[in-house]
Amino acid sequence: MALRIGSGARVATAAASAALLLAACGEGSLGGDEAGASGPVKIGLLVPQSGVYTALGDDMRNAYELYLEQNDGQLGGREVETILADEGETAESGRAAAQKLVQQDQVLAVTGVVSSTTINGIVDLFEDGGIPLVGSNASPTTLTDVEYIWRTSYVNDEPGKALGAYVAENVDGPVYLLAADYQAGIDEIEGFKETFLEAGGEVADEVYTPFPTTTNFQPFLANLERSGAEAVFTFYAGGAAVDFVKQYQQFGLSDSVTHYSAGFLTEGGVLDAQGAAAEGTFTSMNYSADLDNDVNAEFAQAYEDEYGMPPTTYAMASYDAAQVLDQAIEAAGDDLTSETLNEAIGEVGEIDSPRGTWQFNEQGTPVQMWYLREVRAMDDGFANVVIEELGELG
Amino acid sequence: MLSWLDGNLVSMIDGVAYGLLLFTLAVGLSLVFGMMDVLNLAHGTLYLLGAYVAFALSDGSWLGLLVAIVVGALVGVAGGGLLAALTQPLASRGHLDQALLTLGIAFITAEVLASFFGSEVLPTAPPEGLRGSTSIVGHSYPTYRLAFIGIAGGLAILVYVMFERSSLGALVRATVADREMVRAMGIDTRQVLFGVFAFGAALATIGGVLGAPILAPGPGIDETVLVLSLVVVVVGGLGSVPGALLGALLIGQVQTLGVAVLPTYSPFLLFGAMLLVLAWRPQGLVSLVQRA
Repeated sequence: MALRIGSGARVATAAASAALLLAACGEGSLGGDEAGASGPVKIGLLVPQSGVYTALGDDMRNAYELYLEQNDGQLGGREVETILADEGETAESGRAAAQKLVQQDQVLAVTGVVSSTTINGIVDLFEDGGIPLVGSNASPTTLTDVEYIWRTSYVNDEPGKALGAYVAENVDGPVYLLAADYQAGIDEIEGFKETFLEAGGEVADEVYTPFPTTTNFQPFLANLERSGAEAVFTFYAGGAAVDFVKQYQQFGLSDSVTHYSAGFLTEGGVLDAQGAAAEGTFTSMNYSADLDNDVNAEFAQAYEDEYGMPPTTYAMASYDAAQVLDQAIEAAGDDLTSETLNEAIGEVGEIDSPRGTWQFNEQGTPVQMWYLREVRAMDDGFANVVIEELGELG
Repeated sequence: MLSWLDGNLVSMIDGVAYGLLLFTLAVGLSLVFGMMDVLNLAHGTLYLLGAYVAFALSDGSWLGLLVAIVVGALVGVAGGGLLAALTQPLASRGHLDQALLTLGIAFITAEVLASFFGSEVLPTAPPEGLRGSTSIVGHSYPTYRLAFIGIAGGLAILVYVMFERSSLGALVRATVADREMVRAMGIDTRQVLFGVFAFGAALATIGGVLGAPILAPGPGIDETVLVLSLVVVVVGGLGSVPGALLGALLIGQVQTLGVAVLPTYSPFLLFGAMLLVLAWRPQGLVSLVQRA
């Protein structure tokens, strides 16, 4: 009996020591994100450098690099080693790149991520691994209850939400809803309807166009014209946005039906391709390159000088992500680990951004002002011009 | 009825424009498949090449468009000749090997084009005089598409007359019907085959040059166009010019008028139409106008 107790105790002791040893090893293997008090910190920049989202990825990378350049290559007073990884255009390529950053490079934190499918596929990687992801674009409505994933952009349905009440009050007649048939389009229309119907708006019809197979919008535009709607709210981005806006003008809709849309329709390079066809389009966005505040005046000028084009909302959100990291790394001080950094991100408070000041809400997305913009002819082409504030969301 | 017509008139006209665009693409695929028994899955790539030629050379002038058409046609003839030469050794090895080879060529060309022209859709402006819109009974319609109907319609008539009414056309049709017999008469059928391949490819690239302002070049457009052409060939019937024309005009209407009338079912209309035609006339619509 005594022998058995003795051996039991020995086994327990051995197990306990093994557990301690394993725990110590565990700590050791996680040493990569324990940057300590000196030496450079590793930040992963996960943006597409190939595939259909390359243009967005370039904007985000440019703005991140601009921020570093303006701060002597430092974030929070620490030298930064930025590790660039190619998100590609599929969930698989994005996940592989994120895994490399977290597991092989053992970065302190990651920023970037363009595609919603990518971010959906890497939630566990960051949540279970305890590595902060300061995302600067992708933000599907389904991404909730996260502790380590932050976004400096917006939630996908917010551009629609921001515009709904305004359109209901300013359009005298039914409004037609038209969007590309995939998650982002549906999110946007649902967001719009939420505030639009509440404010007493009347929906003429709700139609989704097959994505990405639709290149000829003529039949959809004919139905829109026939519906007698006073205005239309749409969601299109990228190549589809170019086709849609050009055909909207060619088929004479721009003269008779007021066009409201989520800001992506005319954001960045697509606006150059749309040219005069986009004139008079109203969009909602959390940013515009012509916003009148000191931070933006400096940022927009510096960005334009460096890259020869006005900054987009994608660039601005990435600039802010660098700013968030800067302040949080400084706040975490000498005891800098992924864990303490994540706590510090939650406490950064108000950010002085080119879009105006904003701060994170409990979901880890910004509480921020939304703006109504109109595409107008400028001296050197066409630009989104802020007309008025649509109110805060977040 | 009158108001229905008024509401859908533009869709019907656009269906004709779209149908004629599809005809320039599908006729080459149909003849090559019907005559040479070669399944050319790089056919959509020819459209893309033509559209990129238009983007690179069109500067908004008539001369620019003319130069683009000539260069496009040359690219087509060269591309068609090359494809014919490459698929020739596989002639006895069945459709799967041909499909693999031509699909491989299509993928490689698409990647090369993407590295040159980038991953954005590149809108191509038509000549100055054809920009803007024309009013058709109170509805705006892009002027370029009207002009396109004229040009592509002329092209379709030309192709039809050449194949159905000329002795050269008779030779081609005879080769489709019985290659051995034509060869027995002392005619080098390989020359006929190369000629048809190059001609069909040139039509596709010219379609690309003219179609660029309607269906702009970009990654993935080659696949879109290939699928549409295959559907037209199946619907119209293999190896026949009138069949390709009928099939193209029908699919054009399905993709415009059909979508306008039944927007909810738009993702299924294309293949739904193909299914119905296959069930009704397995030989394609050409069996309505021709006796086999």
